[in-house]
Amino acid sequence: MGGRLSRTLAVAANTFRETVRERVLYNLVFFAILLTVAGLLLGQLSVRQDEKILKDIGLAAMDLFGTLIAVFIGTGLVSKEIERRSLYPLLAKPLSRGEFYLGKFAGLAFTLLVNLGAMLLGLLLTLLLTGRRPDPVLLGAVFPILLGLLLTVAFAMLFSSLTSATLAAVLTVSVVVVGRFADVIRGMRDVAPGVPPALVNALFAIVPNFSNFDFKSKVAYGDAVPAAVLGWTMLYAAAWIVVVLGLGLAAFRARDFK
Amino acid sequence: MVRSPTGPAADEAPRERVLVTRRLCKSYRTGHIIQGRRPALVDLDLEVLRGEILGYVGANGSGKTTTFKILMGLLKPDGGEVTILGAPLASRAWRQRAGYLPEHPYLYDYLTASEYLDYCGRLFGLGRETRRERARELLSLVGLERSADIPMRRFSKGMLQRAGLAQALVNDPELLFLDEPMSGLDPVGRRLVRDLILAQRSAGKTVLFSTHILSDAETLCDRVAVLRGGRLLSVGPLGELLKLDVTHLELLVSGVAAGAPGLEAASRAEAVGDRLRLLVEEGSLGRVVTAVEAAGGRVLGVQPVRRTLEDYFFEELGGAPQGAAARGAGAWGEG
Repeated sequence: MGGRLSRTLAVAANTFRETVRERVLYNLVFFAILLTVAGLLLGQLSVRQDEKILKDIGLAAMDLFGTLIAVFIGTGLVSKEIERRSLYPLLAKPLSRGEFYLGKFAGLAFTLLVNLGAMLLGLLLTLLLTGRRPDPVLLGAVFPILLGLLLTVAFAMLFSSLTSATLAAVLTVSVVVVGRFADVIRGMRDVAPGVPPALVNALFAIVPNFSNFDFKSKVAYGDAVPAAVLGWTMLYAAAWIVVVLGLGLAAFRARDFK
Repeated sequence: MVRSPTGPAADEAPRERVLVTRRLCKSYRTGHIIQGRRPALVDLDLEVLRGEILGYVGANGSGKTTTFKILMGLLKPDGGEVTILGAPLASRAWRQRAGYLPEHPYLYDYLTASEYLDYCGRLFGLGRETRRERARELLSLVGLERSADIPMRRFSKGMLQRAGLAQALVNDPELLFLDEPMSGLDPVGRRLVRDLILAQRSAGKTVLFSTHILSDAETLCDRVAVLRGGRLLSVGPLGELLKLDVTHLELLVSGVAAGAPGLEAASRAEAVGDRLRLLVEEGSLGRVVTAVEAAGGRVLGVQPVRRTLEDYFFEELGGAPQGAAARGAGAWGEG
């Protein structure tokens, strides 16, 4: 067990190092510029208004940058290794495909955590430096964003185990976009009553509801997200991540590397 | 066809078989709409003995890399059995004691060679100090000690090949799989790899390496396995495979014309400047030398002509323009 964990962590550490050296974290510079410009421009507005807008911009940027990393780095995690054949010497070592796959996931998850952490710190500092209160309630929105990003990575890896990086990126973006509008599917019952309820239910069940991870507006108004809600959100995310990672792992294990 | 899968001669004690494949098969899917299957490996029965260097020789597409990929778990065989270091293929126990260099290795270009070896060492569960020491040793062994801290994106193809070789040795393996290890190397690099393979054998290690450079196989191997179209054509000691007995001799003579009496005993006569190169069967040597001297000529040199692996390869695979005897025509220099 110790060996398994240590090999998985070795892959995760190397994946994190890769993202750092491939300058993935440079997006933080854009984030810092965005917040500085927003902070300067919003000085003209009333205190309550600009605080909400600043939080809105900060949280939306975290979500957007995080999603871009999760999709485009996530799809490359496996497919790039296969296309470049860099995993050949590794899989010949006492490293199982499962350890490799989970290590890759854990490595990118850590990158996203560091990225979100740095952006959150930047947002809190901006609030402080512009005379507003750095609100810990923000964490209630950032944590679900991280959960959504982890699920996005799981999908990106699943698709990249099955197809090319480009197609995997298209599929992942599709799932995320559809998932963000999953409530619309549920609303079809009212809008189009002719559609069989079973079909609507089935569609709703197979699409992860990414809007479950969106507490940005609530938090921007200064409302805290209840712990119970966060707990359920975490369980929902964990269930989806386990299923999607499991499917991806099964696909990766079944693959021939020609 | 020579086929001696058990390897050692009858008077030798049988050596341990570190790799055994039985009826190993693999085919690839072809076509998108109407799907068929193209056999890549057919009923491969191969044995590698402890302490030997076995050359795995074949033309492009003959199934060499497919074999390696199956053994390394990168491809799933359609059928057959494999035992490596006493363990079944699926077991990971043997991987702790084996090393693998893929063909044209791509190593993470954002890492330095030291970092990459450290990463590989972690996968084998080596401690930090051991990894550091091992990386230093190996980089020195493959001649990369001065480039240890340069990102591998700045490495040449030959340097990458050397780094790839170092990673294959990181766990001090007892069985080494090298897929085209000389590929992309300059003469110095080729010599280095050759010496390294020989050093591994001296240390009691076993090496299975594939190559299409037949002279490398001739120089290094105890036994050679020849693959054609996914089938094992022959396997055995090089001498047995090539029938190394001298059957022809090459004479370089001067002062005599090709049509001189008695020279018809030569299988072939070819003018090289003002000299004549004669290919002679061993039994006719005396007659030809006498004929040269009788015609007022002089014998400048006699050289035995042996069948090379290349001759064997082309003869067995067909389409060879020349056999051993004819190939001997290039053995002499102009001076």
